[in-house]
Amino acid sequence: MAKTILIVDDSASLRQVVAIALKGGGYDVIEACDGVDALSKLNGVKVHLIISDVNMPNMDGITLVKEVKKLPNYKFTPIIMLTTESQEGKKQEGQAAGAKAWVVKPFKPEQMLSAVSKLILP
Amino acid sequence: MGSSKKKEAATRLTLEGELTIYMAAELKEKLAAALQAELPLEIDLSQIGEIDTAGMQLLLLAKRECVARNKSIEFLAPSQAVLDGWQLCNLSAEFGVQTDAAG
Amino acid sequence: MNLDAALQTFLVESRELLEDMESRLLQTESEAADADTINAIFRAAHTIKGSAGLFGLDDVVKFTHVVESVLDKVRDGNVPLDSNLADIFLESCDQISALVDNVANGNDAPDAALEQKGSGLIDRLNVYLGVAPQAVAVAAPTVVAAPEIERSGIVADTDNWHISLRFGTDVFRNGMDPLAFMRYLRTLGEIVAVSTISDALPAFDAFDAESCYLGFEINFKSDVDKAAIEGVFEFVREDARITILSPRSCIADYIELIRNLPEEEMLLGDILIKCGTLSEQELNVGLNAQAELAEEISLPLGSILIGNGAVQADVVEAAVEKQQQVKDAKNKQQRLIRIDADKLDHLIGLIGELVIAGAGANLIAKRSAISEMLEAGELMGNLIEEVRDTALSIRMVQIGETFSRFQRVVRDVSKEIGKDIGLIINGAETELDKTVVEKIGDPLMHLVRNSMDHGIEKAEVRAERGKPLQGTIELNAFHDSGSIVIEVSDDGGGLNKDRILSKAIEKGIVPANHNLSDPEIYKLIFAAGFSTAEQVTNLSGRGVGMDVVRQNIEALRGTISIASEMGVGSTMSIRLPLTLAIIDGFLVQVGRSAFVIPLDMVVECIELNTNDRDQEQLRNYINLRGEVLPYIRLREFFEIGKESEIDGRFDGRENIVVVRYAGVKVGIVVDTLHGEFQTVIKPMGKIFSHIRGIGGSTILATGEVALIIDIRSLIEKVQANEPQPLQLLNE
Repeated sequence: MAKTILIVDDSASLRQVVAIALKGGGYDVIEACDGVDALSKLNGVKVHLIISDVNMPNMDGITLVKEVKKLPNYKFTPIIMLTTESQEGKKQEGQAAGAKAWVVKPFKPEQMLSAVSKLILP
Repeated sequence: MGSSKKKEAATRLTLEGELTIYMAAELKEKLAAALQAELPLEIDLSQIGEIDTAGMQLLLLAKRECVARNKSIEFLAPSQAVLDGWQLCNLSAEFGVQTDAAG
Repeated sequence: MNLDAALQTFLVESRELLEDMESRLLQTESEAADADTINAIFRAAHTIKGSAGLFGLDDVVKFTHVVESVLDKVRDGNVPLDSNLADIFLESCDQISALVDNVANGNDAPDAALEQKGSGLIDRLNVYLGVAPQAVAVAAPTVVAAPEIERSGIVADTDNWHISLRFGTDVFRNGMDPLAFMRYLRTLGEIVAVSTISDALPAFDAFDAESCYLGFEINFKSDVDKAAIEGVFEFVREDARITILSPRSCIADYIELIRNLPEEEMLLGDILIKCGTLSEQELNVGLNAQAELAEEISLPLGSILIGNGAVQADVVEAAVEKQQQVKDAKNKQQRLIRIDADKLDHLIGLIGELVIAGAGANLIAKRSAISEMLEAGELMGNLIEEVRDTALSIRMVQIGETFSRFQRVVRDVSKEIGKDIGLIINGAETELDKTVVEKIGDPLMHLVRNSMDHGIEKAEVRAERGKPLQGTIELNAFHDSGSIVIEVSDDGGGLNKDRILSKAIEKGIVPANHNLSDPEIYKLIFAAGFSTAEQVTNLSGRGVGMDVVRQNIEALRGTISIASEMGVGSTMSIRLPLTLAIIDGFLVQVGRSAFVIPLDMVVECIELNTNDRDQEQLRNYINLRGEVLPYIRLREFFEIGKESEIDGRFDGRENIVVVRYAGVKVGIVVDTLHGEFQTVIKPMGKIFSHIRGIGGSTILATGEVALIIDIRSLIEKVQANEPQPLQLLNE
């Protein structure tokens, strides 16, 4: 059974491209537009990996990581933060909260697929 | 995700589903209980769908404890997922499976 | 990977973000920018850059990156957002917009002009960054290869890499699974041999099932470079001790590795031999050499050992963050979905057919006179009506977005023409059909521009007249009996009736002796040929007269009217139908032809008795409860022969449908009234577009065609034909 990945970003086009790339790699993908949406999506299905932007409306990525770490079913789930080179501080904040993986924006679809592949197989 | 029942000459621990970090703490407790018994230990791995490093090291711990306590331990019918993991870590021989070295 | 659909999403998304960015930037000019606003502006740039990167739109990324960097400084409070910077940001919005349009038009690279504009802006932005321009290059690869240190000595006779891994206890808690890295490593080459190091497993009771105690020694065969192998373990670099030795490394390096690992030397030596990395002889030579050299030679291990992950960053338990204040609007936004407009049009088309089919079924039900069927038909009719209304409401969008664009226009134009003008927006939440919204932008632009150019007086004049120095333009939208009204008002000098009239006479638009009412005089500015150089506003390089504005509005089945008072200001009101697809109609018949009158314009129906008719045959108006009601005979207007002359069915009765449009009441004389009728508008073909008085056609349940009366053009046609201007009833 394919592993499910949740991509959290407020850009629909980014989610769409990431979803295309990851589905091409054999993963199932579900999408959320911000932290609040992400937490509600986690309730429905078993998600094996979370990709989250840092800067989002409603609930940002750092808060999302902290919330996810409180969930018994998700506290060990790998989280990839989407950071930018200008957000070194945010990256460290995310890592301290438990999101040790990151991909620097802007990235190419293949970069995302390989980052995910390091953490879980399809 | 596991049940232990005493058969005539062994304590059998049947593990099911995911042998992963999410189950690790619970399985360690089960293992502790099973190790209390005098009888040899059998761990049934036929129902394991997935194994990660946390699961792997738990099996290594079980093996080491039994050896230390002079208790025999047997891993029964490992599933394909378990076999793949053992092979990746070159632990097949360690867990009593006859294969070549990993590669 | 086909990204075409996603690219479309990107184009729409980035335009929305740019609009949002623009309106927020404008907001910062009138009120102090709060953190939320600045964050939202930053996020817009950030999102566009991130998504553009995915599509490989390097020009967009390059430019947006600089904007984002400056915004980041603003966000951190290092750079204040003053009006100068806001200007640069607004221009940057335009630039990003142009770059995105460039992509939308399928161009690979921006043209020279655009490029030049971009680099000019980048220079101005760089001032705020306080760095040399080249330092603002796009991200360098994150993995920097460790410098290869020249090493001398005997090399190991192996073509394979050796990878040594010891994981920190927290890797599981951080969501990392070492086995997953090993599996990924396998995709880069061949794991020739591996040893699992479990010596760190603590005693049973001390064993924490959620901590990692394992390590691996790996003999790896691959053609990839060191950076690629390092990349595999990128995410555990800080959580693990990772050593990667290239093929044919010095034996001394392997010895050093053994020395630095926590396990016993001899055991590790054996492991390296077992892995096939070193031969027994190499190991012995190495260990001996090492002993001889003693401690005096310190090897620069740091360059080889990457990430000495002894330090474990404890997960800092932050206080539970206060739930963010979530605005209602944002909550709502979250529940929005994006739909392809074509799908929606198709749905509405289908519902149109359903309405017709439903009407057909009802007709049959009536004929059958089975009461149950009639009831069922009625129920279905109600549901169809609800479905229709709901479907149409999906097409409805708020006009606010269109309005808020004018913040920028008013701001820029006031600077350009040197007048201080503010914009007030009312009724931004008023909804209307998406197609209408899309097409109303241009006409509104001209009206606003016109008001700014010609309506608002110069500051000196305003001071003289005792008005506030800042002029005000007001955009207003509201619903009014089946129409939406959009008003553009200004508190300027008002229209000069005499000048308009004299100019119209001079241009031969109206005869000199004409006695015109005020609204009629104002309307003259929309007449073709009226606009002079004075009136032509120059927008985006196009000189467009007010008559084009009127045409555009008429194309939407709308009208425009003007109210004005000298010295106080004027208001231009655009009246538009709520939707273009389906209307509630009133079905009437003249001879054998069926006509539909838009129901929302029907005020009442009265019988035109024979007396009246004979008496007033020549006057073409009747006395309606003391009011003068002019009327039009459809029969005459469309030159329909009397039924009596054709098949004798005409019984001589006639009815007047009283309609009201934009404050004017007119009677329409027809033969028979059939009552309310839901109508799907089928547009008339191009060749019929010149026919005045007809707005479209529809198909009746019986399969017959009915023409939809365009009341407005009908009234105009009649007015034009009258030798004397109609004395219309103003309400």
